[in-house]
Amino acid sequence: MSLFIQQLLNGLTIGMVYALIALGYTMVYGVIQLINFAHGDVFMVGAYLALTLIWAFAAVVTGAPFWVVLTALLLFGMAGCAVLGALIERVAYKPLRASPRLAALITSIGVSFFLQNAVMLIYGSKDQSVPEIIPHVRFEFHGVSFSLTQCVIFLTSIALMVFLTWFIQKTKLGKAMRACAENFEAANLMGISADRIIRVTFVMGSALAAVAGGLFGVYYGSINFHDGYLAGLKAFTAAVFGGIGSIPGAMVGGVLLGVLEGLGAAYLSSEWKDVFAFVILIAILLFKPSGILGENLPEKV
Amino acid sequence: MNFKFKILDFRWLVLAGMVFVLCGAARKEEVVLIGLVAPLTGDQAYIGTGVLQGAQMAVEDANAKGPLFGDAKVELLGLDDQHNPTQAVLAANKLAANPDVMGVVGHFNSSCTKAASAIYHEGRMTQITPASTNPEISRQGFDTFFRICATDDVQGPAAAEFVWSKLGAKRIAVMDDHTTYGKGLADEFEKKFKALGGTVLRRDAITQGEKDFTPLLTKVKSVNPELIFYGGVYPELALLIKQSRKTGLDAPWMGGDGIFDVTLIKLATPRFSHGTYATMLGVDPHSLPSAKDFVARYEARHGEIGSFSAYAYDAANVLIEAIRRAGAKDRKRVLQEVRKMKDFQGALGVVNFDEKGDAVGRSIGVFKVEEGKFKFIEEIKPA
Amino acid sequence: MRVSDFFKRLFRRHPFSCQVALFLLPFSLFPLIDKNVYHIDLMTSIGIYVLLAMGLNVVVGFAGLLNLGYAAFFAIGAYAYALLNLHAGCPFWLGLPAAGIVSMIFGLVIGAPSIRIRGDYLAITTLGFGEIVRIAFNNLDEWTGGPNGLLGIARPKIWVPRFEGGFHWETFSFSVNPTPYFYLVLGLVMFAAYLLFRMSDSKIGRALVAIREDELAASCMGVPVLKIKLTAFGLSAFIAGMAGAVFASKQTIVTPDSFDFVLSVLILAMVVLGGMGNIWGAALGALILGALPELLREFANYRMLLFGVMMVLMMIFRPQGILGSQLIRREMRTEKSE
Repeated sequence: MSLFIQQLLNGLTIGMVYALIALGYTMVYGVIQLINFAHGDVFMVGAYLALTLIWAFAAVVTGAPFWVVLTALLLFGMAGCAVLGALIERVAYKPLRASPRLAALITSIGVSFFLQNAVMLIYGSKDQSVPEIIPHVRFEFHGVSFSLTQCVIFLTSIALMVFLTWFIQKTKLGKAMRACAENFEAANLMGISADRIIRVTFVMGSALAAVAGGLFGVYYGSINFHDGYLAGLKAFTAAVFGGIGSIPGAMVGGVLLGVLEGLGAAYLSSEWKDVFAFVILIAILLFKPSGILGENLPEKV
Repeated sequence: MNFKFKILDFRWLVLAGMVFVLCGAARKEEVVLIGLVAPLTGDQAYIGTGVLQGAQMAVEDANAKGPLFGDAKVELLGLDDQHNPTQAVLAANKLAANPDVMGVVGHFNSSCTKAASAIYHEGRMTQITPASTNPEISRQGFDTFFRICATDDVQGPAAAEFVWSKLGAKRIAVMDDHTTYGKGLADEFEKKFKALGGTVLRRDAITQGEKDFTPLLTKVKSVNPELIFYGGVYPELALLIKQSRKTGLDAPWMGGDGIFDVTLIKLATPRFSHGTYATMLGVDPHSLPSAKDFVARYEARHGEIGSFSAYAYDAANVLIEAIRRAGAKDRKRVLQEVRKMKDFQGALGVVNFDEKGDAVGRSIGVFKVEEGKFKFIEEIKPA
Repeated sequence: MRVSDFFKRLFRRHPFSCQVALFLLPFSLFPLIDKNVYHIDLMTSIGIYVLLAMGLNVVVGFAGLLNLGYAAFFAIGAYAYALLNLHAGCPFWLGLPAAGIVSMIFGLVIGAPSIRIRGDYLAITTLGFGEIVRIAFNNLDEWTGGPNGLLGIARPKIWVPRFEGGFHWETFSFSVNPTPYFYLVLGLVMFAAYLLFRMSDSKIGRALVAIREDELAASCMGVPVLKIKLTAFGLSAFIAGMAGAVFASKQTIVTPDSFDFVLSVLILAMVVLGGMGNIWGAALGALILGALPELLREFANYRMLLFGVMMVLMMIFRPQGILGSQLIRREMRTEKSE
């Protein structure tokens, strides 16, 4: 039993990271129905920005408490990626607003290639080691162990998700985003600036991905310019899992996917765990095509 | 005015053309090409670059000594295979189609070397791999294939011997990254270890590029192995080591040449990687008197030497020497000369090939990570 | 006068054969003009991409179904021929249609339940399927050789009639030389193009367009939507399967990592770049994206970076694709006013 709970906890940790990335996919999809392939790479850039800040910190200040470094690196990553997200939107997607949806899909693939190779050229193709900034503290409880790093990931992710839910539900901007997702044209007619909402969506999604990237780097201790691909694929799966376009869906989907993967690797086989995750995904789509929490919209006639 | 200028232009043009032709005639030295294929872009680009730089130095050394024959200069033609067998075959075709290319140093990854070897064989072109250790490649029966490094059926059993007799471990776990190289090495290790009487408690495989191995390691921990042997490359091993320590699995890790890279220690941190064993083909080039000059020149120019730079340097030198002896731009004669090559003095020691094209007498070095460095412990001579 | 009349009549009577001949036959001169073996080899690889792009175009361009796992059908074809050849000694000319059929069967099996799923969800199902196929080939070591792949796949053989010393057939086997493969692929591209032209002009083709434009309206008008979609799925898988067999016989090795998600995405990019729903567009897209990385080779490390930038630029300047079909453009406008 303790083994099961341990695996569950490990799955939850990575699931939180998936959920943060999945939020970006789902928000963008909700507003402009674009599968933003470059999002996984924005996550990866976030991880590299965090690493850069750790280097800078190590060079300037010594002996700063870990939460200061952590907050700084997450904020730095968020700021950097928010700018990057806005830039990508401006350059690669905005000119294609009136074009077929697949055209923007292709530019997102182009952006993804660009970001990966840009990071490779700047930081090199080797895996980069991320220094351990969070002290190695473990909590043991009936044979189940839980590290401080995992704790930090949980708290940060949950805080962000709560904030996002509040933002979407209560603020004016959040309501405008929901209006756009509900009916783009009508929202425009009601005086909501679509361009502004889309920009905000990209900025927020990218900032969340940056946090995920920073936490990911700190958790695993090594990052590579390729990491965005697999993590992006998983997060995207998670977004669909929960019902793409739905914000609580992305959170639930991400966490569930992480747990499923962890349990699959533990009780089936680590080689087949991705197959396991995808089979469940396809099964869900076949029986409930709109995902776990997605709305089943009736066909417009 | 205009007219005058036109005539002037015309004359200049003719003159320039003549100078050009003359220069061309004067510079009509022959160029012999050597191909080099390795992953030069993508996530293994750093290894490929190390290999390329090693071979490039061999070419420069050769040209500094004067022409190979007549006035022939040798040049290196580097191609990228992105460690993808399909790209490897495309690159092999490009080299095979170019009659100036006498032979190739490459490829790096066993899967690529194997896929491309058939193309070189059909093109009667000498292929010397600096790093592909999978034993299957030379069992295909291609007379054009040579290898400068030891094979995994030497490396794997040597590691098993070491674990069994020197470390005294009896009950262990084996893991691989499910690649041609990693799985091959782990298989050879497991076979020998079982033959010695040891018990393999678990045999698992992971996927390259994956990040989270905690679920698997939790399972490995439950069988309580004395050591874990890993067939694969260092990026995944670094994560495995770190995560195993975090799940409370304290058994030492061991791997082959693929993990022999200081980045492993950097990634896994000196604290966690302490006590990790690695076998390496041959000993550390820094400790070899024959490699001293090469290592010093390499590091002065490019920084820290890559794990396979010296192998690429030797492979290119064997090829250049064969071209020199053949004395002509003739692939078949170059191939014959490589076949006939005896006791070639390379930076890493004497090179001899057996009938399959594998280097003979290559010893295996065993290293242990101590205080953030790979420390040489012993040399296992081939049986 | 008479000659031009003859051509006019010919073109009117056989518009598709004439178009295919007009656009593709000139390529048969390529190996005669450019003797560089490497260029011929590259053109052969691009030809395989053209086949794949044409096949994917049926699903994405005609039927409007997004398929993100197309490489899986290519992989299934390649492995099908490899296994048939290695275990049953199946010759290439038998393996070629067999690979297509095996791939088609998989296409139908996957398509039948998932085709009801709408829009982007289908994209994810196919993406998942593509990953499952690749991982399965990688992990089923006993059958597929795992990551080492399958080696020693037979190259095609043809029989050439000889008259010297009495009539007899001489066997000629393909080799490293890419020229025979070039003609093989060119032949297949011509065959596929002709087939697709005929299809797009048939009842099925029109039904597909109707479904793409408005599925509900089409089904109300009595178009058997599921059956037509499945046909498109199967046909597209068939073409990919045949391309896979050619690929396997040319490489003589198949490994799972040749068929990753990036390949699926790349083929999709070819279709969209060339112009969805246009058969020549798909071919042109494949030609451009296939040749670009080679043309950018001299930029070494910056190659893929530039590749990404050019993909973005090309889409921005020509969002409907280079040869975007008129219909899709119209559809776009209606989509906006919806």
